[in-house]
Amino acid sequence: MPTPPANPNIPANLPVDSVCEHLPSEERERQIFWKLRWRTGCSQLRHFVTKARLRTSLVVGLSLLFWCGLFAMFYGGFDFIIKNVGPPGVAYHAQTVQFIFTLFFASLQVMLIFSSGIILYGGLYSSVEINFLLTLPVRDSRLVNYRFQEAVFFSSWGFFLLASPMMVAYGLVVSAPWYYFAQLPGLMLSFAYIPCALGAIACLLLISRLPKLRGIVVGTAALVIISLAYLSIWQTLSLSHDESVNATWFSETFRRFEFTRGEWLPSTWLSNGLLDAARPYNQDPNDLPWLESGKYLVVLVSNALLLHVIVLWLGNRLFRKSYCSLHSRQARESRTGSVWIDRIANGFLFPLPKQTRLLIIKDLRLFRRDPAQWSQFLIFFGLLLLYFANLDRFRQQRADLSAQTWVNIVSFLNLAVVGLILSTFTTRFIYPLISLEGKRFWILGRLPVERDTILWGKFLFAAGGSWLPCAGLVLTSDLVLNVSGMVVSVHQATCLMLCIGLSGMAVGLGAMMPNFQEQSPSKIAAGFGGTLNLVLSALYILAVVVLTALPCHFILLASSGGVASQMLKAGTLAAWLGVGLVSSLVLACLVTIVPLRSGLRAFRRLEV
Amino acid sequence: MIHFQRVTRKYGDRIAVNQLELSVSSGQLLAMLGHNGAGKSTSLKMLVGLLRPSEGVVQVGPYDVAKNPRESSRLIGYVPDQPYLYDKLSGREFLEFVAEMHGLTASETREALDREATRFELGDFLDRLTESYSHGMRQRTVFAAALIHQPEVLVVDEPMVGLDPHSIRLVKDLMREYVDVGRTVLMSTHMLSVAEEIADRVAVLKSGTLLFEGKVSELRLNAPDATLESLYLSLMDQ
Repeated sequence: MPTPPANPNIPANLPVDSVCEHLPSEERERQIFWKLRWRTGCSQLRHFVTKARLRTSLVVGLSLLFWCGLFAMFYGGFDFIIKNVGPPGVAYHAQTVQFIFTLFFASLQVMLIFSSGIILYGGLYSSVEINFLLTLPVRDSRLVNYRFQEAVFFSSWGFFLLASPMMVAYGLVVSAPWYYFAQLPGLMLSFAYIPCALGAIACLLLISRLPKLRGIVVGTAALVIISLAYLSIWQTLSLSHDESVNATWFSETFRRFEFTRGEWLPSTWLSNGLLDAARPYNQDPNDLPWLESGKYLVVLVSNALLLHVIVLWLGNRLFRKSYCSLHSRQARESRTGSVWIDRIANGFLFPLPKQTRLLIIKDLRLFRRDPAQWSQFLIFFGLLLLYFANLDRFRQQRADLSAQTWVNIVSFLNLAVVGLILSTFTTRFIYPLISLEGKRFWILGRLPVERDTILWGKFLFAAGGSWLPCAGLVLTSDLVLNVSGMVVSVHQATCLMLCIGLSGMAVGLGAMMPNFQEQSPSKIAAGFGGTLNLVLSALYILAVVVLTALPCHFILLASSGGVASQMLKAGTLAAWLGVGLVSSLVLACLVTIVPLRSGLRAFRRLEV
Repeated sequence: MIHFQRVTRKYGDRIAVNQLELSVSSGQLLAMLGHNGAGKSTSLKMLVGLLRPSEGVVQVGPYDVAKNPRESSRLIGYVPDQPYLYDKLSGREFLEFVAEMHGLTASETREALDREATRFELGDFLDRLTESYSHGMRQRTVFAAALIHQPEVLVVDEPMVGLDPHSIRLVKDLMREYVDVGRTVLMSTHMLSVAEEIADRVAVLKSGTLLFEGKVSELRLNAPDATLESLYLSLMDQ
């Protein structure tokens, strides 16, 4: 690139130092940014405590519940290992626990790399705040550090929530000494920092070197890792009918996952550090557990610090250049293709009035052209499909009554999971629909369309759009589990009730409590109304599933000649199932009609 | 004070700014005019360091913006077309942050904050969270932030959008006063009347190319009675 000669009119002798000496030093800059973070954090916290109490208590309460549940599960699991494999210090104990730890931490390590890289990308390259900060005299490394801290926080909180109950449970089960618990925060923090830093480095290098291929590279890497993990799990679980979980299987599985125990992996350092800290001191002055675990802590901390320096160094060198080159790409022309989808949808919707049809197709187009919506839909439902497709292990012991009971329970749990996932979607995408129409209401409000038609259009779009994939998923689960025809029918009926009820609730509550100030659907969903919708949806799912699952369960036991058949007659059980279905139907009508009616009333009176 | 030296900016194959040669001296207000997509905002973004030129150099004072982004941004106050404010900070906290980032001491910050709060009539709102501000209030706060360190150069992208008549008058007077004390203002606008009223010179861009640069009176040489609007439109038709 040719640099033009200096302009003779420019006062070239203005000393750089005269400006630089007024600019904050690195230390001062650090303080200013911490002050910014402190102030925004306090303000956000005040907001949570004063204006979002329901959501805050819900998040805190559910997190605590989740933590306690995990703790109980891990406590039971480690207790089982102690009793059946041996206490700490025994070779098999160390081997078994190391297998669990390394596999667990290695998986989380990969997830941390991806999540921190993606979060850092969002924070550094596509954020309005960074646009603003780049116009201030801030060092590039500070900007990268500022965003990297957020990436570490947001990507690793899940790790802490998952790993801390496991580590605490292990420490308590093996009666670990005090320094085990003292080292836990350091071990966890330094471990989490390493994959996060690796993700950040990958993000900076990728955007700097291959800005155009970033999506393809990340997608391909994720696909390869998922395929490998899937293959490993498949091979581990794909036992033949006469095989069972025995010593050979364990040795084979242990060998297969050897790659997770590589000496150069931070997950291995963490696992070894935990095992060393937890094992008893055997009075050998040459083998001090606290010192051995301390060595792993030092290795983790020093690597974390080194990677931190590398992130900042790379940030300083690459960030601004890569930011500019990324924002110099030619804007992609958005094409409005796929008209055939609209034609098909129009064909399906032919019984509806034309105006309702047009409104539904408009919402369908918006959904289709917003990757934030369909990609999340695809990821969650794709993962569920993957899980359902791997359920056939239960079919191997079909003669066993307890296995059949489990099949039945799992099939209903799957139904509940589909419902819960659907409720997050109705809260995230359907609930904010009316609020988002606020700014566009001058179009809809002036059209010769009844307001009720608009709301019915949203309801039909939500109910119809959710029913097809949910029914497909539930059917897949049932077919793979090979449940009875009666259960399949009950599941399909329940699924329909869930889709209608959840859609009615989301549309109705969305119309009752619109938020026209906010333009971000996620912020609308995170408000009081959205949280209420989520809680009510969860309760509704629970009620409907329990009402139908319990009679089905007892019918199964009775038909298999179990204990229940002696206590309950077939007629009574059938009546119970009927009552359950009718009650679910009544409940579905209630949660659909009551919010929708209130929503319609509110929507008719709406003034924007 | 501002120098675009044969600056070209490409987005892929598309040339957004083509060989732009433009200078604005101290004590001058230059208004950039042009249709949507003419290259005005791209030029301003290169000036404030948000984009790098594909070719050429953008200088502010003695600093090449691409090589010395920190130093050059110390000389600039920037009001973007879509300003950003921290929703969870009050106006005072936001202005303090910007002032401190520009290296103002605590007493200088207090002084500057009082000065700008008075100038932009922010008093009643200063301690409220910016999430509760109206568009006009946000715009005034952004102007205050851009001026808090008394920069040599004020860069303003579409300054009048969404402002009420009172605020428009305030901003116009402010920019005029700013150049009258020897500083520099570069603004992009679609409002020809504003350019005609307060700008010393105008630069007309079309498809990234500079069509005209000079005083409005120079543009009128061939048609003394024409309005700036008709002159502008005839330039665009060429």
